[in-house]
Amino acid sequence: MDRRSFLTAAGAAASLSVAGCAGLGGGGDGSSTDESTPAGTTTGDADGSEETLVVGTYSAFIDSPSTSPGAWVKQRFEEEFDARLVWQTPSNELNHYIERRNAGVDIEADMYLGLNTDHLVRVDETLDDGLFADVGDVAGRDDIKPGLQFDPDGRAIPYDTGYISLVFDGTATTAPETFEGLLAEEHAGDLITQNPASSATGRAFLLHTIKQFGPDGYLDYWSDLQDNDVRVLGSWSDAYSAWSGGEAPMVVSYSTDQVFADQNDADLSEHQIRFLNDQGYANPEGMAVFDGADTPTLAREFMGFLLRPDIQGEIAVRNVQFPATESAELPADYAELAQEPPEPVTFGYDELRGSVSGWISDWERQFASN
Amino acid sequence: MARDSDGGGDDEAGGSGHGGRRRAVRDSVERHALLALAAATVALLLGIFYYPVATVFVDSVLVDGRLTARVFVSILRDPFYLGEPARLLAGEPIAAVVESALAPDRRLGVIGFTAYQAALSTVASVALGLPAAYLLARFEFPGRRTLRSLTILPFVLPSIMVAVGFVATFGQRGTLNAVLGALGLGQVNLLFTLEAVVVAHAFYNAPLVARVTTAAWESVDASAVETARSLGASPARAFRDVVAPQLYPSVLMGAALTFVFTFSTFPIVLALGGFQLATVEVFVYRLIRDLEYAEAAALALLELGISLGLLYAYLRYEARHTVRSRGIRPLPRRPLTPPSLSVRELLPRMGLAAYAAVALAVFVAPIASMVLASLSGPEGLTLAHYQFLIDRQTTGASFQVKPWDAVRNSLLFGVASLAVALPMGVVVAVLTTRDYRGRKVVDAVAMAPLAVSGIVVGLGLLRGLVFGVEVGGTRLAVGGGLAIVAAHAVAGYPFVVRTVAPGLEGIDHTLVESARALGAPRARALVDVELPLVWPAVVAGAAFAFAISIGEFSATVVLASGTSQFTMPIAIERFIGRRLGPATAMGVVLLVVTSASFLLIDRLGGDDVGF
Repeated sequence: MDRRSFLTAAGAAASLSVAGCAGLGGGGDGSSTDESTPAGTTTGDADGSEETLVVGTYSAFIDSPSTSPGAWVKQRFEEEFDARLVWQTPSNELNHYIERRNAGVDIEADMYLGLNTDHLVRVDETLDDGLFADVGDVAGRDDIKPGLQFDPDGRAIPYDTGYISLVFDGTATTAPETFEGLLAEEHAGDLITQNPASSATGRAFLLHTIKQFGPDGYLDYWSDLQDNDVRVLGSWSDAYSAWSGGEAPMVVSYSTDQVFADQNDADLSEHQIRFLNDQGYANPEGMAVFDGADTPTLAREFMGFLLRPDIQGEIAVRNVQFPATESAELPADYAELAQEPPEPVTFGYDELRGSVSGWISDWERQFASN
Repeated sequence: MARDSDGGGDDEAGGSGHGGRRRAVRDSVERHALLALAAATVALLLGIFYYPVATVFVDSVLVDGRLTARVFVSILRDPFYLGEPARLLAGEPIAAVVESALAPDRRLGVIGFTAYQAALSTVASVALGLPAAYLLARFEFPGRRTLRSLTILPFVLPSIMVAVGFVATFGQRGTLNAVLGALGLGQVNLLFTLEAVVVAHAFYNAPLVARVTTAAWESVDASAVETARSLGASPARAFRDVVAPQLYPSVLMGAALTFVFTFSTFPIVLALGGFQLATVEVFVYRLIRDLEYAEAAALALLELGISLGLLYAYLRYEARHTVRSRGIRPLPRRPLTPPSLSVRELLPRMGLAAYAAVALAVFVAPIASMVLASLSGPEGLTLAHYQFLIDRQTTGASFQVKPWDAVRNSLLFGVASLAVALPMGVVVAVLTTRDYRGRKVVDAVAMAPLAVSGIVVGLGLLRGLVFGVEVGGTRLAVGGGLAIVAAHAVAGYPFVVRTVAPGLEGIDHTLVESARALGAPRARALVDVELPLVWPAVVAGAAFAFAISIGEFSATVVLASGTSQFTMPIAIERFIGRRLGPATAMGVVLLVVTSASFLLIDRLGGDDVGF
């Protein structure tokens, strides 16, 4: 059975029924070369007219309890393009596709949405053959803010960005203005952050300290931070819920925190933002087309669609992040609650490649030394 | 299959050729039933567990296509993982290593620390579990059976729920500090310490210890105690000599399982302790996430080896200490209200009252906090989070998780996997209670699903089943509901084995031999003679298997062919956001559904089933 018609039949949620044994990927023959002939796939379409675009992403993009852009994006795209958009949210996210490529199994998606710089580094350090194709011609690509481009090889392009900052309860403390300030006696036990290996915010905070103190100095800083009782919890939600529960007055999170606080009618004085050293660590999220995608043209149309000013603005609001383009149309009051740092900083691909896993592993060995 | 002769009683036809043939067929089926079941069990285990897991473990010895022990050696020589003993393997003199191992600043290493916290957690779980067993087995009070049914609840709670409950109970602004403050006792700072992690582990595992011990206690034959007493033994002496020896195997089983579970702990440690308390599993996760498979697999194999070694030691002990002739007449329970005001009557009850206060704080308060969190909003009490569940159900997109579908899937998978896990468990119990060399090794290997890293299982299922294997040009892939059921059954059946096997071993073998001498095939003897005698154990295993299925996360999320096959724990995980309301509301749904299920299982199990 053709994979296209299968997906079309099974629909977005692939409600395969309980008898879903021994079926998935049946006729694909598992070799990725078969997939590189886009003509072979459109012929299998059930009704012949509608193309299907399968997009892999992380689950919060389509299914978070507050707002997520997924459903809105799908509806708008399908209306305009006479195409079908299928979201795929494998539990191990991008690793799922790396695994598939490693095992020589059909990727089963056309593109991925939600790439970080370090994802790209991981892909390139692990796979001999590339996972993603050259991005090629995408409308609106020139509108992207120059500082956000993170792929020197031109495969991934950003669609939004977050800035990692401190969020603090202004009624309980006033966050220091510098990294050194976190070491002050008065802030002992005040900060909660996250495990850099399992949390994007925790990783960004660690990388920010490396940016600040250099690969030779960050471990000393962390040693002092640990002496001052910094808490490193597992996931962002572990940390944020402990912070919300009053376990510590400061947490590493996103600089858009007040947007959520405002939505929930919370007291904004309890949701203050601090950019240490006036810097925020930028974490651009990108998208890229899988090498051998069935519908690369449609995928590029989708990318252009996402970069359009109206869509950029809406995604930023719904994903509670910042748009990637200069031309995005944001609500007038968005900037009041969503704060941008005076100076965005980030590590580029070339700086992370070959270094990031060593940095994290050295940090782990120091911090968890029993 | 021909169904024409399916009416009426089996043997009406008596000696006629037709009936004789039928009986012969039935006999033949029964004769081979056990063998067929055993073969099916082995096939299922190979297909859905050993093979997938092997696809991951092989990475530890097969690097770039070549067999090597290099990865293991480098881990074993690394003090970060193995502490001071690593230096021994690195070739340092024994005396120097022993000296530094005795020094106060000795390094435990990640593996040593993981074992240390697991040992502490085991002690705490036994200490908190035994009084509960004493209460449930020896005292009669209204609601005792309900309470006993509900003791399994902590077992199915996702770690995020437990973390929420613990922060609300033991946090700086938690209930405990509010109570202590009101009593003028000052504040305690329990969170982000090893203590918090140990208590959370006890929250999960003390009920396990309590359940298995309660069962053993209820199986103690009253006449044995009475005989001892009539021979002049004091109550304390009778307990020590008659009752206690029958409890040890169960207590130790609870302890061994607790150690194995807490040895592979992961999210709880990072949510309530912090990264400085990172365990082996934390590093297995990190290494797999960064695709460093060789080191991840080697570390996970070492983790498994330690767990299986411990289980093997326990199984050897269990085999030597099986108590023959299980209870015919259980000890009478005493009323909870003291019949007289003597010290002998008052003392144990006062002890139980003190225990109840501790249990209230450790077990009830976190769950109550969770329920409260689901009902709390910025402006006090609200049903908004439950409204969210209803909205998601009615207006959610097709690719979003729907609460009712999650409930239905959980129950469906739970019942189906129970139907698979029970026969599997019974067959393995029968096979491992026969006499042959190395049967305890077989038994330990059969317990592996309890001890393998969940992260490794998830990756193995992805590689081994979801991606499929190439057979003659077509790719055979497995996923979806049936695969989830199989994976849950594999995860749950060891509990059936562990609860049923000791009972089977204790059965007087002459009973089975008589049945067989009278012509009953082995399977019929099992169903007619042995299983009824160990029925409480069967129901107990069933309850655990069902609980495992309800709580399972990693295999389900990998095998589900879409959000429409997601279960309650996955829904909870998806509903976590900035505010925990929606996730906790789903958590309460999980609590209610699970409670109802267990009350039902207990009622179905018979009048006074021992677990």
